Amino acid sequence: MVAKQIQQTSNVETPRYAWLVGLAAWAVPGLGHMLLRRWARALVLGGSVWAMFLTGLWLGGHLFTLSGTDQGPAAFLQLLPMSANVGAGFLYIFCWLTKTGFAEHAQLITFEYGNTFLLVAGLLNYLAMLDAFDLAAGRKQ
Amino acid sequence: MRHVLWMAIFAGLTAVVFGAVARGTNRQRLLYGLKVFGEFMFIAFALGWVLYFLPYR
Repeated sequence: MVAKQIQQTSNVETPRYAWLVGLAAWAVPGLGHMLLRRWARALVLGGSVWAMFLTGLWLGGHLFTLSGTDQGPAAFLQLLPMSANVGAGFLYIFCWLTKTGFAEHAQLITFEYGNTFLLVAGLLNYLAMLDAFDLAAGRKQ
Repeated sequence: MRHVLWMAIFAGLTAVVFGAVARGTNRQRLLYGLKVFGEFMFIAFALGWVLYFLPYR
């Protein structure tokens, strides 16, 4: 019976709207839930991610990119933290375009806190994005 | 003291997101968020005390 239920669930097509909502949720934290008219959730999730990202920048944290100071294959070590940072969507892209937050301020006492805030802001936005996608696809109430 | 403040802010924001995306009723999600926050704080303090007794030289 469980196998039958799983088969039935996997046969349900994901609506295209859900992909759009997922993309919007990644691009601007909170926007995906706004499109679904889940105002409270948008405020809570988007607000938390925005607050965490901006606090990270304020604390002197830095964003990761592949074109860092490392040369050769060592540059790929930046890939994992960069993929976490990219989770913040256009916040990351805006910072990349304006060259904001990529300089290292290791002399600051809050530098590592800032890094952690920036990394986790991106990761939390991935969670929020999946939540918006599931809501739009009808997999979650 | 400032370190504890940043840690609490970090734990609070993370717990809010974890609670918001969790399944269940509003009350269950609120309790889950509080539990996550408590766990973050407890583990941080516990690790802090463990590291305090470890010689670092």
